[in-house]
Amino acid sequence: MAVVVLLPSLLAAEAGGRKEFELEAQTVGDALRALPVADLLFDERGELRRLVNVYVDGVDARGHGGIEAKVAEGQTLRIVQAVAGG
Amino acid sequence: MGVQVLAGTRKGLFVLTSEDRRSWELGGPLLPGWEIMHAVSDPRDGTIYACSTTFTYGSAVHRSADEGKTWERSEQVGLPEESGLKLEKLWHLTPGREGEDGRLWLGGAPGVLFRSNDGGQTWEPNEGILAHPTREKWMPGAGGMCCHSIQLDPSDPERMYVAISAAGAFRTDDGGETWTPVNQNVAAEFLPEPYPEVGQCVHKLLLHPARPERLWQQNHCGVYRSDDRGDTWERLDGNGLPSGFGFPIMLDPRDPDVAYVIPEVGAENRVTVDGRLGVWRTDNAGESWEQASNGLPDQAWSVTLREASAFDSLDPAGVYFGTQSGSVWASSAGDEWIEAARDLPPVLSVEVAEWQS
Repeated sequence: MAVVVLLPSLLAAEAGGRKEFELEAQTVGDALRALPVADLLFDERGELRRLVNVYVDGVDARGHGGIEAKVAEGQTLRIVQAVAGG
Repeated sequence: MGVQVLAGTRKGLFVLTSEDRRSWELGGPLLPGWEIMHAVSDPRDGTIYACSTTFTYGSAVHRSADEGKTWERSEQVGLPEESGLKLEKLWHLTPGREGEDGRLWLGGAPGVLFRSNDGGQTWEPNEGILAHPTREKWMPGAGGMCCHSIQLDPSDPERMYVAISAAGAFRTDDGGETWTPVNQNVAAEFLPEPYPEVGQCVHKLLLHPARPERLWQQNHCGVYRSDDRGDTWERLDGNGLPSGFGFPIMLDPRDPDVAYVIPEVGAENRVTVDGRLGVWRTDNAGESWEQASNGLPDQAWSVTLREASAFDSLDPAGVYFGTQSGSVWASSAGDEWIEAARDLPPVLSVEVAEWQS
């Protein structure tokens, strides 16, 4: 499935300035792992970092299958930093 | 000779440059949005390395071969599953010795050390520290169980030191295969047994480059000097310092008897002593201490973190520190302090590099 992934500014800077990626993926996790910033999204065990939120067409993936959730053709995944930090 | 100060802050890396160590130009912030726990210019080739972290995306090592114009990120730094540990934060990076091409050392929490042999593209955890037989007696301080000090002995390629809060200081004489705790006579007054083998809260450990058997440390419980590679330590803060508590320590690379500290009231009240930003200097190996605070503000409660001090190798030696209130101070031999930058984000780390003008 071709999906679009949108990155926030800090991740876009780490991806060479690119904010938008079009990727082939079956699941949310597939799409995130295909990004050049996957190491910043997942820890060394492959677990999505606690403060990384992913919205699939505006719906928080965490309550809807998480990174195992299937994606559909044309969906947009937006990565959002949780409200935290200083 | 010009100098470049790398000031890592809670919001990016700032670069201060000066030809005379009196007037300064401010550049940056580089790596905006990242907390720069430590940044250092590799004296072998000028590459800048930064231990960068964010609340959300964890820690990374960034490196720039073009003075910060562009950056690359190391492959993910992590710990093996069988260790049962996960990387919490990266704290400190030390370039290898001249001739050790591509070799770098990296410290982090929870009490971990990594080595790179490819210029920081990939990192391998040091098993001797990761599986140290005393690890179960280590505990985290307020900043996590950070490996913050990595000191290479210039006279012996097999010998180096690390310090971890609160695990203590460790020395290897076999290139990092095995590590001996070197904490004799160093107090851990927060433990039931005040002089344990490990568990000391070293805040910063430095080796004197011209006399490498001499080590200095600012500890949670005092200021110490060792003249035998850490085998034994002498406590020095009773010799005139207003407090034994503090974080940074600075040296003079030509004079092994000179050291500078910035005392704080104590562990329960981490502010400057008497509300004055005070640097204290010894020129007799800690037998006595005198204030060297000329030019510093009379009223200031802001403190200096463990990574936020440095010294250069010019003559006379320059000493530098940054504060939580966003100032960077520079001085030649501690004689008069100049505010090289102010109103930066809180300063987490300070390092200095030199270049031929």
